[in-house]
Amino acid sequence: MIRRIFVGSAMLAVSSSLAQRAVVERSGSGKISINLSGFRTGNDSSSRTFLSVLKADLNRSGYFTVKSSGAEYNVAGKAVAGRQLQTQVQVFKVSTRQRALGKNYNAPVKSTRSLAHKVADEITYALTGKRGMASGKIAVVYRKGKIKELVVCDMDGKNPKQVTRDRSIVVGPRWTPDGKNITYTSYKRGYPYVYMTGKSKPLASYGGLNASGAVSPNGKYLAVILSVSGNAELWVKDLRSGKMVRRLSNTRRGIEASPCWSPDGNHIAYVSDSSGRPHIYVISWRGGTPKRISTSGTENVAPNWGKNGYLTWCSRSGGKYRIMVGSPKNRSVRQLETDWADYEDPCWAPDGRHIVCSRTSNYRSAIYLLDTLKDSPVALLAGSGDWYSPACSP
Amino acid sequence: MKKIIFKLVVFSAVTVSLAFLGGCKSKNPNGMDDWDDTEGLIVGDSIEGSMLNDSMGLPADGDRSLFPPVFFAYDSSQVNPEEAGKCEEVAKYLNKGKCEGVIVEGHGDERGSREYNLALGERRALAVRDYLISLGVDPAVIQTKSYGEEMPDNMGHDEAAWRQNRRVVFAIY
Repeated sequence: MIRRIFVGSAMLAVSSSLAQRAVVERSGSGKISINLSGFRTGNDSSSRTFLSVLKADLNRSGYFTVKSSGAEYNVAGKAVAGRQLQTQVQVFKVSTRQRALGKNYNAPVKSTRSLAHKVADEITYALTGKRGMASGKIAVVYRKGKIKELVVCDMDGKNPKQVTRDRSIVVGPRWTPDGKNITYTSYKRGYPYVYMTGKSKPLASYGGLNASGAVSPNGKYLAVILSVSGNAELWVKDLRSGKMVRRLSNTRRGIEASPCWSPDGNHIAYVSDSSGRPHIYVISWRGGTPKRISTSGTENVAPNWGKNGYLTWCSRSGGKYRIMVGSPKNRSVRQLETDWADYEDPCWAPDGRHIVCSRTSNYRSAIYLLDTLKDSPVALLAGSGDWYSPACSP
Repeated sequence: MKKIIFKLVVFSAVTVSLAFLGGCKSKNPNGMDDWDDTEGLIVGDSIEGSMLNDSMGLPADGDRSLFPPVFFAYDSSQVNPEEAGKCEEVAKYLNKGKCEGVIVEGHGDERGSREYNLALGERRALAVRDYLISLGVDPAVIQTKSYGEEMPDNMGHDEAAWRQNRRVVFAIY
């Protein structure tokens, strides 16, 4: 069965690279069936955790369906936990008995989950040629009462680790392009300043608003929203010299928000309400005339630019917040199918296929995984407090 | 005041030289309304009457009980005529030199994007700041701070709560 999932027909005309195809491909029943019942584990919890995480990752990847018989691929091997977790993984194509993957992996027992994520991504790459997302991380804001702290967890929502302990307010986390640090806005020194993990000195601490700091792909520049000129505008700062490179917007009646860089670092997508309503724009980081990307909806906010070249953002239409996916090149846009809840703050997962976002229903916010191809949304983080503003590692 | 002028001069010098580095700017004929070609455009006038190049070390808290908050319409940062009187009371107080200064704190309701609401809260704070300046208050004693939707006064989720949360609070120090 082939379901057409694209509203805009222009979308179908695109696609040359593999990554792009992941987004524009029509979906079907084309999942690869894979059987892990031949994989042996010990009686210890570590090796069994390894297998269950691996199975869950493969199912969540969108490319596989884990079956216990009659699969196209069999996974053989074993996991044994002593002081270390030692695993042997072999993947065979059943029809030809050809080996698609054969590797040994060892890791400390405490890294059981991340080892399973790594193996899931290697199996995904070996069988599909596509990058998986299982090894990715999600930075997210966790609210309990009035305190909002930065938390990092695995792509499956497990293994959460609290990053900030400022008992303050954290807004808008983003990963640095090397995936090692996170920039965020915090009030820990009273005013909203932009910080980077691992650095106590703020990256931006001008008078007024300092927010939405995003490090460029080459690591040299910070796109940031400042009101130092008397109005919230988009600026670019040189991180090494600490000097401003340029101001990219000059909208006396409008405000700017939420910059994000294109994968090649040449452009910045951001929000501006200079037209009267917030819309998504793209501008060269060298300046020039911005190009409006969003066309419909009463609010278009929170853009995120994937390595697949596509933008995702949040658009309010019919009183609900929806997730949009669009090409900045030909302005083709489609809305992801979601239920009656509000979906906001989308970001591309490392596989360029899934989108992580917040889902709010009855004023409670949780983190969900959406598939741009066909699978149903999956809850990653929910319950005991609110989770929002997710950012996926590159 | 002298200190501020000095900072402005220093900042202008830096930005003018940066503007030189930015090279010539070319006007785009089909530029959009309200947009300038901002290539390399960081000139002195853009920070006229503006805030500090570095606000670290400034007072970050104050007494919020002295003046009532100013309320705003949905997605608006205009100081309504019926709210203007509140600003005028604050201006009088500041002009009499009864305190060192004020932090004008902008807030929004919970609807919409958090980052956009941060900018919107700042726009509200700046609108009130501009109004205070028009009433003769020294710009150097007015700081702005936006909390966006992060610090609601009313935790409810209806229009009455939202109306209470779209506000500017005066923290006197």
